Order: sequence, then C-alpha cells, then structure tokens
Amino acid sequence: MADSVDCREASRLLSVAYERRLSPLELQALQAHLDECFMCRNFDSQLKFLHTAAQKYRA
Amino acid sequence: MPSVPTAADPRFAEIESHRPYLLRYALSQLRDGQLAEEAVQEALLAALESLGSFGGKSSLRTWLTSILRFKVIDLQRRAVSERAHVALDEEGESADESWLDELFDSTGHWREAPQAWSNPEAALEQRRFWEAFERCLDRLPTAGSRVFFKREVLGDDTEAICKDEGITPSNCWVILHRSRIALRACLEKHWFGKASPVGG
Repeated sequence: MADSVDCREASRLLSVAYERRLSPLELQALQAHLDECFMCRNFDSQLKFLHTAAQKYRA
Repeated sequence: MPSVPTAADPRFAEIESHRPYLLRYALSQLRDGQLAEEAVQEALLAALESLGSFGGKSSLRTWLTSILRFKVIDLQRRAVSERAHVALDEEGESADESWLDELFDSTGHWREAPQAWSNPEAALEQRRFWEAFERCLDRLPTAGSRVFFKREVLGDDTEAICKDEGITPSNCWVILHRSRIALRACLEKHWFGKASPVGG
C-alpha cells in the first residue's frame, strides 16, 4: 500500500477530502506528508480559506 | 410606478452591486450566457419593483438570489424544449493530467511553493478582496467555474452536481481540485502576494 505520498498526491487528497471521506490509509499517508511539508500545510490552509470565502460570498 | 427606485436612488446602486454575484449564480444554473443575463435582468427589475417587501430578515444578496432562482427555473423550463442538453465543455476532461505537470515537477513537488498567507480572514472584510476574488473566478474554465460555484458557494451535493453535469464523480473531483488550485494561485498572485494589500 502507498504509505508515502508526494505533494502532487497530497494536494489531491486535501482537495477530494471536501467531497468524500478519506480512507484510514489515505489519512495516515496524508498526515505523514503534512508533518514534513510546509508547502502542503500552506495549501491546506488555503483550501480552508477558499471554503470559508466561498460561503461568505454567498451571503 | 412611482415607488420603483431610479438610478439616483442609493438602493438602486446597492442592488446593482450584487449583479456580478447573481450573474455567476445564473451561469452556474443555466450555462447559456445570454439566458443568464436575461434572468438576472428580470430578477433585478422584479426586485426593484418589490423592494418594499424586503424585510431585511435575510441579507439583500439572499433575497435577490431567491428572486433570481424563480426566474432561472422559469427560463430553464422554456429553454429545455428549445435545445438539447449541452455536454460539458471540452475543458472539463478528466484523463488528461498535463495541467498537473505544470504545477508539480517529476518528483511530485510543487514547482512554486504555496505561501503562508498573512491574516487571510481580514481580507474577507475588504471590498477590494472580493473584486479580486471575482476576477479570479472569472479566469476559471467555464465548467470549472460552474462546478466550483455550485459546490463551494451554493454548497450543492457533489452527486447532484455530477448528475446535472452528466459526468462521473471522479471527473467532478478533478474539476473541483483543478479549480481550487487555480483559484488559490490566482489569489496568491493578485492579492496575498503583495507585501501589503492596499485599500479596502
């Protein structure tokens, strides 16, 4: 099983997590990557911000 | 109709300021630009005529959107008989991952590292941020813009969106992922990238 993911895969998982529940394996791999990668942590924060902004845009 | 506000009325300008949002809403539902413009125009006129019934319980944007919703449904009904359902744009392809190659190198690392945005919540209070946000939305491919709007702005169910768009869930996810990546890059470049965003 893929126990390590790169930024390309991590960013995909971060995004798709807004659409479906990640599997335990995916979560584990993602968390391991995030622990090591500030770029993907930034990306993660930016997705959260986009989500908030989009909801605020509606109101 | 003496009660209808004219262009000089401040309420007219306030209602008009929601036009870009309303147009995006209409486009996300109707796809046809001309039809969407028509729906928004009709909704704004209807809103101006019934402004007195706006109690301020919801936000003006929510109220305007609810009026627009009915115009959209009405136009959809009329349009359905006129033309077949237009398939998703060619830009919504799923198998082609070349766009990812532009963002990540051969080892799977970001070619350009996403930055830490300073105090992003403060941006939400600035009018100029929303202008930048709208410009970035406009740069998305049509299908991406529509799907992102339905999913993130309207909060529609992914399954419903896929069904409506006639695409598979995984295709839908790719489109959303691509839209988010493009939006964050655009905002980073045009808003958060500046040392200190000016104005508000």
